[in-house]
Amino acid sequence: MTLAVDSVRADLAALVGPSHVLAYPAACVALAVDGKIPDCAVAPATAEEVAAVLRYASEHHLALIPRGHGTKLSMGNLARRYDVALSLRELNRVSHYEPADLTISVEAGMTFGEFQNLVGRNGLWLPLDPRGGAESSIGGIIAANAAGPLRQGFGGPRDMVLGLKIATTDGKVAKTGGRVVKNVAGYDLGKLLTGSFGTLGVIVEASLKLFPKPPERATFTMRAGTLGIARDLRRSILRSPVDPMRLVLVDSLATALLGDSAQAHERLGAELWIEVGGSHRVIERCERELRQLASAVGAPLARLEGAEEAWEHVSNLALWLQHKYRDVTLLKAALPVVASEEFLSHAQQEAEAERIALASFAQVGVGIVHLCALQETMSASLAGWVTRLRQAATDLGGTLVIEHCPVDLKSHVDVWGAGGDDLAAMRKMKYAWDRKEVLVPWRFVGGI
Amino acid sequence: MWRQEDLMLYEYDALSSLRQPDVVAFPRSTEHVVQIAKVALRHNLPLVARGAGTGLSGGSVATEGGILLVFSRMKQILEIDLENQRARVQPGVVNLDLSLAVADEGYYYAPDPSSQKACTIGGNVAENSGGPHTLAYGVTTNHVLALEVVLPDGEVIHTGASHWDRPGYDLTGVFVGSEGTLGIVTEATVRLSRKPEAVKTLLAIYDKVVDATRTVAAITARGITPAALEMMDGFCLRAVEEATHAGYPMDCAAVLLIEVEGLKEAVEEHADEIEAVCRENQAREVRRAKSAEERDLLWKGRKNAFGALGRISPNYYVQDGVIPRTRLPEMLDFIGSIEKKYDLRIGNIFHAGDGNLHPLIMYDERNREQTARVSKAAKDIIMRCVEMGGSITGEHGVGFEKSDLMPLIFSDDDLELMSRVKNLFNPLGRLNPGKLLPTGKMCGELRGGLAGGGPV
Repeated sequence: MTLAVDSVRADLAALVGPSHVLAYPAACVALAVDGKIPDCAVAPATAEEVAAVLRYASEHHLALIPRGHGTKLSMGNLARRYDVALSLRELNRVSHYEPADLTISVEAGMTFGEFQNLVGRNGLWLPLDPRGGAESSIGGIIAANAAGPLRQGFGGPRDMVLGLKIATTDGKVAKTGGRVVKNVAGYDLGKLLTGSFGTLGVIVEASLKLFPKPPERATFTMRAGTLGIARDLRRSILRSPVDPMRLVLVDSLATALLGDSAQAHERLGAELWIEVGGSHRVIERCERELRQLASAVGAPLARLEGAEEAWEHVSNLALWLQHKYRDVTLLKAALPVVASEEFLSHAQQEAEAERIALASFAQVGVGIVHLCALQETMSASLAGWVTRLRQAATDLGGTLVIEHCPVDLKSHVDVWGAGGDDLAAMRKMKYAWDRKEVLVPWRFVGGI
Repeated sequence: MWRQEDLMLYEYDALSSLRQPDVVAFPRSTEHVVQIAKVALRHNLPLVARGAGTGLSGGSVATEGGILLVFSRMKQILEIDLENQRARVQPGVVNLDLSLAVADEGYYYAPDPSSQKACTIGGNVAENSGGPHTLAYGVTTNHVLALEVVLPDGEVIHTGASHWDRPGYDLTGVFVGSEGTLGIVTEATVRLSRKPEAVKTLLAIYDKVVDATRTVAAITARGITPAALEMMDGFCLRAVEEATHAGYPMDCAAVLLIEVEGLKEAVEEHADEIEAVCRENQAREVRRAKSAEERDLLWKGRKNAFGALGRISPNYYVQDGVIPRTRLPEMLDFIGSIEKKYDLRIGNIFHAGDGNLHPLIMYDERNREQTARVSKAAKDIIMRCVEMGGSITGEHGVGFEKSDLMPLIFSDDDLELMSRVKNLFNPLGRLNPGKLLPTGKMCGELRGGLAGGGPV
């Protein structure tokens, strides 16, 4: 930072108004990322103000981290530069909503909870269960392309974004896409920004595709016993007429945590959780089909009442587990579907060898495996574990990222893993959008 | 290939006849494409990729000459992995051939453009093609997971992954729909979908167009997302029926062709509800296809409609605007008024559920005065789409035809962001020049669509 902190605060106050700049030490501490505390926080009230702040930061070489509600900021390599927290919370208006068109345009800072309530009144929803849950912001969900287990039935944010408004580091507000459900005019920069973790531009508004909510939902559990049985069940479910909304394999410790009986977990086995949606008749039919599949492998089937809270935990693992354990390390492997169980078996062996208490939540239908290391472990041995698991994921044709971990682990392992032969193109992309490296410097893939 | 009579074959696509390439090359491998890209670079020649030439916006025509890369010799399905529901294909694979290759196992490739018997996956990726069933399943971009791309300097990169959530920027999402202006796709990994257990196809018949258009938003308002929801007006229907004998009624004003898919129970319930909505909106009759043959016949009529119209008019021009679906009744009224204003015949056959219009304007290219009126009518319709908050293209692409219309929906700042991305991959602008982004020569004009050429 080349300018004195006080003059930055004064300049920002001139851009967005003094009441939109926070400089109290306590407030700044609460906005720390990886333990690094920003000098001040700014919360612009309009897209144009966001752009003005970005231009200012670019001119003065400041490092900015945009945030909605901060639920996913643990993702990323060590924040080495962080001058200003850019909060999008004040951008929370609805700019266009026509329920019958199943489309909506909202500003990025609106919370997911508020959003779902709003469209829920019309029987609609955005079928996502992102990390951060109701607390997370629409902009943050898109920036992190945060999909939870509902990806099984509906895909991710990438498939739901129709258009974006973006503030850029040269001080402009530009849009990409539109607000109609089908549109191929121009490059689809919405895809580029989705999952870019704020490193290219700041999403200030999003147009999204909405879906009708299923009239009824039900969750069934199957006791799987071994990973082999779990694999057979996964295969038969995915080949059956049942089209699950969510399909997660929870290991015995995870089952116990969800049932809140951590002592008893030795006796429970791994379980498959299957959620289906539709009319009453559709759900009855699904139950019949699933019962048949379960009995074919001798696995008991049960219908789980009041599963919603448990599902919230599963989609919001880091936050939930942090309430129970001091240090949680949360890894996400993304794999070919066929490799899910093999990877889990590998992870369990590795955890036993390192004496790491492991709970796993595997979205086996889409090949996303979350591994949670639950107790304090020496960073060095955690780092070895992560590195070996990353190698295992790579060998199986997948990738592994760290979603959440004690900060010092980040000095030992890269959060994202190695990039591919398109990394040079990604670096050029970053340069084209943010040549002064204002936005979230060094935290993304390949040091972007 | 360089002889005049050979090059003539490649001067047009389904939009119209535009210009011949200087030379046509038929690569057999990624390495061939790399070598050809290097030749183009060395001689500063335009390089244009082409699949089957079924595009409707001039995207695969070498409008500035140069080398045309035709992918008819790269049509291998390289890998089918059913348990992962993935296929890896070369760009020249015909869309329908991929679905047929996995049909026996109960799978298919979801995007189904009307030209699917001929069009290629490479072309679909370039144009981000749609089709009738995109209403429920999305367009090409929702089904493409990874690409191998040759950049203009001959560098080969691999974007995306066959699994979800590869860390880094989603370059796959940028390349899909980039109309061959960022790189040349030499391989694609796509998602295969499971065939639903049950399908029901309904045909709702109306005496008034407005009742048909009102039904569209009424269906989605009930919380039902049909797999397809198509509309054809009486004029198109009669042409289709004479050509295909699909059993469409000859005396009605419009029909909706509606398909629901999924679990048997869901399909039955949805079909009943849809029938009720149609009747509430004054459908004269609602028929259900009783067999797979009946269903195929109805779809054959729909998918061959453009061909059928070619039998009754020497030329036609098809527009590809999009509007919010709730504005359909208003829009069809407007198209009717345009028909009168310019004294033209306009047929309507389109993806109603998505609000993706395809007004077909009949004309005879030998009548230059009439051709000029067609151009004005097409422009008026697209302007109205823009005013309604829609788009200038839903699935046919910007290409050559609409690049100068881009400023209607994008500001200079928006276009500058796109140029930035283009310059990054295609800094010399020799890759498919004159497409997608405005040329700055004729702001707000449609290009090429009415230059002559025959109907497909």
